[in-house]
Amino acid sequence: MADLRQRSAVLTLEDALHLLRRTTLHPTYARAAALVGKTPAAAVTALFDAPEAPFPSPSWASQTPNITNFNDAYRLWVELQVWWLDRVMASPSPRERLIMLWHNTFTSDYLNVYIAHWMVGQHQMLRANAYSYADIASKIVGDAAMLRYLNGDQSVKGRANENFAREWFELFSLGVGNYTERDVLEAARAFTGWRITGLTGSYNRQLADLGEKTILGQTGNWEWQDVIRITLEQPACNRFVARKLLRNYVEPDPSPESIDAVGALLKTANYNIRTVLTALLTSEYFFDAKLRGALIKSPLELVVGLSSMLGATSVSRVYTGQVMARLTQEPFYPPTVEGWKGHHAWITSSTFPQRQRFGESFVDGRQIGSSSKLTDDAGKAVVPDVIAFLKQLPDANDAEKIVTNVAAVLLPMPITKQQHEVLLEIMLAGAQKYEWDVNAPSAVQRARFLIQAIVRMPEFQLM
Amino acid sequence: MKTSSNNEQNPNRMHRRSFLRTAAGGGMAVATLPTLIDSFSIQALAGGDPRLHQLLEDQDRVLVLIQMAGGNDGLNTVVPHSDPLYYERRPTIAIPKSKTLRINDTLGWHPAMTGFRSLYDEGKLAIVQGVTYPNPDRSHFRGTDIWLTATDADVMGSTGWVGRYLQTLAPSYPTELPAHPLAVQIGNATSLGLLGSAGPMGISFRDPDEFYRLVNGGGGAGEVPSSDQSDTPAGREVMFMRNIARSADVYASVVKDANDKSGTPSVTFPTTDIGAKLKVVSQLISGGLRSRIFLISWANNNFDTHASQTSTDDATLGTHANLLRELSDAVQAFMQEMKNRGQDQRVAGMTFSEFGRRVYENGSVGTDHGTAAPLFAFGAQVNGGKVYGANPDLVNLDPIGDMLMQYDYRDVYSSVLLQWFGVAASAAQQLLYRDFSSRAPGLFRSKPTSVDDTASREAFISVGPNPATDFVVVRVNVDQHADAHLVLTDLRGGPKATTPVDSWTGVGRLDLQGLPSGTYILSLHVGRAIAHTTIQIAR
Repeated sequence: MADLRQRSAVLTLEDALHLLRRTTLHPTYARAAALVGKTPAAAVTALFDAPEAPFPSPSWASQTPNITNFNDAYRLWVELQVWWLDRVMASPSPRERLIMLWHNTFTSDYLNVYIAHWMVGQHQMLRANAYSYADIASKIVGDAAMLRYLNGDQSVKGRANENFAREWFELFSLGVGNYTERDVLEAARAFTGWRITGLTGSYNRQLADLGEKTILGQTGNWEWQDVIRITLEQPACNRFVARKLLRNYVEPDPSPESIDAVGALLKTANYNIRTVLTALLTSEYFFDAKLRGALIKSPLELVVGLSSMLGATSVSRVYTGQVMARLTQEPFYPPTVEGWKGHHAWITSSTFPQRQRFGESFVDGRQIGSSSKLTDDAGKAVVPDVIAFLKQLPDANDAEKIVTNVAAVLLPMPITKQQHEVLLEIMLAGAQKYEWDVNAPSAVQRARFLIQAIVRMPEFQLM
Repeated sequence: MKTSSNNEQNPNRMHRRSFLRTAAGGGMAVATLPTLIDSFSIQALAGGDPRLHQLLEDQDRVLVLIQMAGGNDGLNTVVPHSDPLYYERRPTIAIPKSKTLRINDTLGWHPAMTGFRSLYDEGKLAIVQGVTYPNPDRSHFRGTDIWLTATDADVMGSTGWVGRYLQTLAPSYPTELPAHPLAVQIGNATSLGLLGSAGPMGISFRDPDEFYRLVNGGGGAGEVPSSDQSDTPAGREVMFMRNIARSADVYASVVKDANDKSGTPSVTFPTTDIGAKLKVVSQLISGGLRSRIFLISWANNNFDTHASQTSTDDATLGTHANLLRELSDAVQAFMQEMKNRGQDQRVAGMTFSEFGRRVYENGSVGTDHGTAAPLFAFGAQVNGGKVYGANPDLVNLDPIGDMLMQYDYRDVYSSVLLQWFGVAASAAQQLLYRDFSSRAPGLFRSKPTSVDDTASREAFISVGPNPATDFVVVRVNVDQHADAHLVLTDLRGGPKATTPVDSWTGVGRLDLQGLPSGTYILSLHVGRAIAHTTIQIAR
């Protein structure tokens, strides 16, 4: 049973890094150091209350879509990715990671939607409503990208298209086993009447099936708003969202008791996510030492996280998107409506070596597994300053201690004595401990050896 | 040490019956194992022993699984053109009878499937009608999981049916890795179907050369040992990644070698996604990769044709037509290449999809999620040119209005295990959690059962690792107190190693150090009875 009592112990560096890894894409030493000594409640409030810069849509996104060929569609897709990657590279807000959870729940993929303008619109809707599941749930129905993705805009009274209705129950709100085939058929009727006009969806009651329907046991002349209301009243919906939050923030396989407990919080808070996350992220459960490192990083968390930790967030957005695609998380292109499965699915005999190659190449200022230099999008070389990375940490001039400290910042769990010995040996590369001088020119390559050895470890893939 | 009280109370169990028990007690018999033997060697080795001859010839069978992700519309694939209801229910998207490619008087192929039609007409492709399972789930993800795990609709399985089968071939995987990967998935994902209880039983990559470069492109600094914290969630994840990394390390060069050896294909593969993937599979098979299973899939739920399934002015064109053409052309090229390379007798394939679609079209020129649908098996050793099962019944439907089951998908898996891989019935029953053998369609020409060497096939419970390197552990099915021993013989007939079988545990361990790579005969002697199987040593 999850211990949801509020934790009062002030944050250590490890606690602060844990909190940042699980809530933001920027678990840097500097940001963690600023949270050390705060209570969990104060730290979480600071994270949520930090001001966020505005994030305007690309100028083309407000114009009427006029995409007639694949080249235009593809060009805008890349622009869409770059627009968003610019944001996540810069923003330390917990909102960014939460948006990914919603994007991965209420999925739409670029190739099927095809119109970048609508993808921008969906992203901005998820962004604006990130802290309210209930608001997203009602706004997604008439979202233009979603209407196209799951054929809502082509669903006709009398011959309803079931695509959205099924995924609504299965993937967006209740999960398999909590609705019947009949519910899908009836809800599909209630979801008719939507079309896309320009940039948004519009509901036309004349086109909707207004007849009597029975949905999840309730009978009436239900329209789409009623389906949302009835669904969100279900305890299964509380549990469904609770499980999503727990898997995203705490552990891959939460117990039914933990799910029930967080589900109860969601019910009380009327699906206000900030309220529930604040309770969860300040709990003894969240800081349980046994659950450190229990999650496998998504490609986004891996790539942005390393860029940020090494102070190299200017790295090319186009390149970053390509790396994510190779690691099977192409931005705005989830493989199916189920989204990216995550956790173990991220790691295969093909992606694991690629993750290692990405990390070690990045440390050198090279592109993944090649000798090409890392650059920003203007072509200017990007070389992570590994010495600056070391020197921000305490005891940078003590070989033994710097190994411990680098590992503590980069890895979610403490290294063993044996790992420490090997890492020290790798860093020293034949030199003696007393010869270590972080200011010596020879320290650069040695610092790279150390960081590369760490980013190659399976432990580095955890958070 | 186990006690023998049961035996003492049951004198029958003390009696030495021939030299075998049936495997009803729960063993997994492993009769056929991955090897490569040419026909000359078989002649030389088997001499006058027809059972051994057959056993050797059957060693090297390969299954290619093609997942039609998204739920394929079976009615527009194998078109029931003589049924007026088909046209009534699908006024917009039905394929006109005149456009179909003839299967028989009542059925026709979708016109895009010229490749399947040729294979069918040559007797190398079989259609199994009405495949689903009781209480079918119309969710893509549950449906896919059910098919991959081979569980009942209400059971959440965590291992794949293929993974479980492969685990019987290599019980100590991934601690001991066979010389060649047991299964290969072309793509970046790892299918649930390949998961065993000890993690993925296969590897996945998109391209052999790229895979090799990825694995071997690392920097110079050394490896850091993993922390031994297997009792924490993080510790378990580290072990999970270690195992995958190790199999990638070991197999990247094996895969590249096979790919390099295969040379240029003799046929031109279509430049589609599935065409390219089957080309890689063909190269690896031709180049000598001894994997038993190859798995390919569309990358997205491409067959999920809720809207614009066909073009609005011609029902034979459009999204679904393109997908069927992609499948059909690629499989045809693949089988031709296998034939040209002399591999077609040992390679078979099977398609699957999580469900079929509804009988009725919807209002968006598409079809929604349904139930039963046809499945295809192909290969020179497939009993093809036949339709298994009756035409779809569009009158008697389930309460939702979907087609009823004719074959459980596990009936077909049972055909694969029993007929194609020669797995013992008792083992197949364990792998599929139930006995489906009585309803298994006779899809594959089944050499092992035609030999009817039940004794040999039931004798070996497990042999692993196989391929082996330094040792092999053999668990056999003999009565306790039986005086049994194992003999390993090379293909020239010379005995190379021998060891007694522990009479309590039924386990023997053969030391293989110093023996060169190759195929060996493993014989179990109990009194005058002998059972054979083969193993592979690979260094």
